[in-house]
Amino acid sequence: MNDDRPAATQADLPAIRERWVGVEFDVATFEMEPGRMVAWATACGDTDPRFIDPTHPDFQAYPNFTSHCTTHRVLPDEFPKIGPGFGIDGGKTVDCLGPIRAGDVLTGAATIADIYDKTGRSGTMVFIVQRMTYHNQRGEHVSTVDWKMIRQL
Amino acid sequence: MILDLHTHSVKSDDGRAKVENYCKWIQKKQLPLDGFVLTEHRQFDADSDYRELEDRYGLVILKASEVETEYGHVLIYGVNDDLVNSFDFADVTNPLPMVLEAADRCGAFAAPCHPGRKNVGLFAHYLTKGAVDGVHTVEVLNGGSIPGEDELSVTRAAEFGYRGFGGSDSHIVSRIGYCATEFDDDIEDVDGLLNALRGGSFRPISLRGLADDRENGDQP
Repeated sequence: MNDDRPAATQADLPAIRERWVGVEFDVATFEMEPGRMVAWATACGDTDPRFIDPTHPDFQAYPNFTSHCTTHRVLPDEFPKIGPGFGIDGGKTVDCLGPIRAGDVLTGAATIADIYDKTGRSGTMVFIVQRMTYHNQRGEHVSTVDWKMIRQL
Repeated sequence: MILDLHTHSVKSDDGRAKVENYCKWIQKKQLPLDGFVLTEHRQFDADSDYRELEDRYGLVILKASEVETEYGHVLIYGVNDDLVNSFDFADVTNPLPMVLEAADRCGAFAAPCHPGRKNVGLFAHYLTKGAVDGVHTVEVLNGGSIPGEDELSVTRAAEFGYRGFGGSDSHIVSRIGYCATEFDDDIEDVDGLLNALRGGSFRPISLRGLADDRENGDQP
């Protein structure tokens, strides 16, 4: 879908940061299915039975498993246009805070954690950090994933 | 004494190197570095204490900052509370004259880094906006430079009468020591570094070939 809105400038960033950092904009649930947990760990090249053998007494999700448990919305509705196009993926950082077991149901909440700019060889870039926090059915915080989206001004 | 004056650790958003892993790498590869300075992006890391690592590995580990200005990036050595409170280290549009003046006033030492970078380095900005008074020293050898950039830095620095130093700009452990600075004086702490920089008895050196050889397992 085309976004015909005018793109924000560097001068707009403080106000954008003030308005949007900390805003929670989506929630979704994810059921931890053992076959998918094994497939993920195997794709990561791990052979530890804790991650690839569902019969292992300590079977759990590979530590970065939640990196693909995303909601349908990347950014909040009405989030301003920053830079042309969709930008590039700046990668994800996963904090594994507790074991995720087969059958767990995680609730993931998406928040804008940070918006910051930096300059480099290619000019000024804006980093939008989308943070997903995951809690299991017992309310335990088991994982946090920070996803950086990079836009060029 | 040889120090790498420009390194980043995981404290920087794009840094992937833990400080102890830098120490291990220097030791394992027998790099001729006596220490290094952590110059984290857009911040000053006041909290980290590396004295135990200094003692364990026999290295000098100092802390500084790399801030961003309208004329490119600037390394600041001798950062203190007064300086941190005098301007916004996270702002990427700081005026270079203001940063230089603030550093001077607070007893720090500011020097633009990788000034030869196309479009974004100090000397590229000079072409469009004119030279800035107060610059006296620049990083003429940078481990992240592409061919031609350091040569431009050296040439232009000489034209402007700037002193030059070197730093690796490493963000991963295997890049530390690509470029560094050789001092005539022994340096044990930030005050010693400031005195040595102000005294001018130093020169940039490239260890790129040495670091590469040792990365490949070749011991000279």
